[in-house]
Amino acid sequence: MSEQMIELRNVTKRYGDLLANDNITLRIRRGELMTLLGPSGCGKTTALRCITGHNIPDEGEVWIDGQNVTEVPTHRRELGMVFQNFALFPHMTVFDNVGFPLMIRREDKAKRQERVMEALRMIRMEKYASHYPRQLSGGQQQRVGLARALVYQPKVLLLDEPLSNLDAKLREEMRFEIRDLIDRLGITAVYVTHDQAEALALSDRVAVMNAGRLEQLGTPDEIYDYPRSRFVADFIGLSDFIVGTISAVHAEKKTAVITANGLDISVPATPEMSPGREALLFIRPNNVDLLPASHAGGTNVFPGVVDKTTYLGDRNDYRIAVGKDLELRVQTDGKVRFKVGDNVQVHLPLPLCRVILE
Amino acid sequence: MTLLRQYLRAILSARKLLITTFLLCFGLMIYLPFLMIAFRSVGKGWFGRLWLPPELTLEWYRWAIEVTNIVDITKNTLIIAVLAVTMATLVGIPSGWAFGRRKIPGKELLMSMILLPRMIPPIAYALGVAQVFYRLHLINTHFGVALAHVAVCAPYAILVLSATFEGLDERVLEAASVCGANPVRTFFHVILPLILPGILSSMIFTFTTSYNEFTLTLMTYGKDTTTLPVRTYLAIGEGYWEVTSAMSIILVIPSIIVLFMIQRQVAPEKLVGGFKGV
Repeated sequence: MSEQMIELRNVTKRYGDLLANDNITLRIRRGELMTLLGPSGCGKTTALRCITGHNIPDEGEVWIDGQNVTEVPTHRRELGMVFQNFALFPHMTVFDNVGFPLMIRREDKAKRQERVMEALRMIRMEKYASHYPRQLSGGQQQRVGLARALVYQPKVLLLDEPLSNLDAKLREEMRFEIRDLIDRLGITAVYVTHDQAEALALSDRVAVMNAGRLEQLGTPDEIYDYPRSRFVADFIGLSDFIVGTISAVHAEKKTAVITANGLDISVPATPEMSPGREALLFIRPNNVDLLPASHAGGTNVFPGVVDKTTYLGDRNDYRIAVGKDLELRVQTDGKVRFKVGDNVQVHLPLPLCRVILE
Repeated sequence: MTLLRQYLRAILSARKLLITTFLLCFGLMIYLPFLMIAFRSVGKGWFGRLWLPPELTLEWYRWAIEVTNIVDITKNTLIIAVLAVTMATLVGIPSGWAFGRRKIPGKELLMSMILLPRMIPPIAYALGVAQVFYRLHLINTHFGVALAHVAVCAPYAILVLSATFEGLDERVLEAASVCGANPVRTFFHVILPLILPGILSSMIFTFTTSYNEFTLTLMTYGKDTTTLPVRTYLAIGEGYWEVTSAMSIILVIPSIIVLFMIQRQVAPEKLVGGFKGV
């Protein structure tokens, strides 16, 4: 039994001139929940359809559970899938929808009955067995979709933006329900979404995709804390970007200095850094400290003026003018408040300054 | 204040009265001629001057059946309708599939061209049909009359079926394949049940179209292929008003049965299925 449940090996897929998947290699471990995250048109759905067999890659191979399934038709791949628009069979009751995969596999009636009811109990829908999909709410329909995907214990569960058609509150509830269900069953799952919050909350690992390529693969905190490209930093969470030049590297102190917009900002040094090189510094707005003007200076403390404030309830969002033509976005908790025009000091904590060398 | 309220109430009740009167007139306009025919078909010595016929009889129906050979004529009508429905459906399914599910350049123009026979008066091209059919010896054949009917039946079939196939959600078919259904089982368990109501309603529409068709039949029929509408028309010329009325009633019965079938069997919501949030 191989450790990898799903493997995409150098998969390339074109739609006419559009390169939807550009040499994607992705290994999904047994029992892991992997999210394919990216903006629309990034190729995440194309990659998923290569796994389901609705797309056949132009180049490369798809392996599921140690078998090359590149040419195997969808119906013989033993998959379970949840769709964005639910895709329930409108002419069948909830019971028949969930029982469909078992009926196709010619399970006998008694066993089918038992397993369908078990699946419906799992999603708390046993009361709705004789309802038709059109009689259910969106959330209920998606739970039925989930039960239909899981009823025959497939090797892999695929979820294609399963929560996009639900309202915000229900989306959050269902997020936990799905994670809980996947944990209980220990099934391998591939989750496609464009919602970064969903990806961070749900996944064991996240594959960030952009323009048909795999941008970065890692755990949610790796992706959030150590994005390797401007795209990833920008796509996931909020970021302040400062473009500058490395002016000094202090190997003994393991720090370097980036000069940008008239500021000398100290950052943690990495071996690739050398003076004169261009660098992109970024920091999360909630990692920036805002201090009163009277506060004593220090490393990475710069004077600034409050340009704009927005009240967000649990947070305050500020735009601070710092240095030469630089505007930083800063988010603080609601305890200390500054007004527009206030003189402040901005502190960029050295360990939280990240640098991307491009 | 009370005066204003009274005034408003008066306007409101006047409006209600107006609507009721309008609906009543509208109903009378539609159903009165029909009632006249119904009365005449069972009445003896009734010339429309009394409220009801002085004497009721089924004699005119007996006449209609015996004198005009209505059994054979009904048979002709049904054979032609079944042939027309079959041909229109056979044309409609592939064209409807293409229109509903494929990207075709100039789709709107093509659709308009297909709908054209329904838009222009049949008499305008019935003459052409007759000329061509005489050359091909299709006049006075069931197949020939049915073929002429297809010109007006097929547009209906294509229109209804393309809407049906368009409503068939690709994701649902993909869901079936992920669930393990091969293309054949997907067809029988998912596609067929979803499109059957559409096919049925297309067949019902084309059936009534062919059954009621007059102009094209008039230009292509012969003594062996007389249909009910044409025979009824001829009976008017023969001058027996009562017998003609009885024939009209006989002519109407199947349409009424079909109407009830549509109401009962083909619920419109079954046509599109119930998706939420799409």
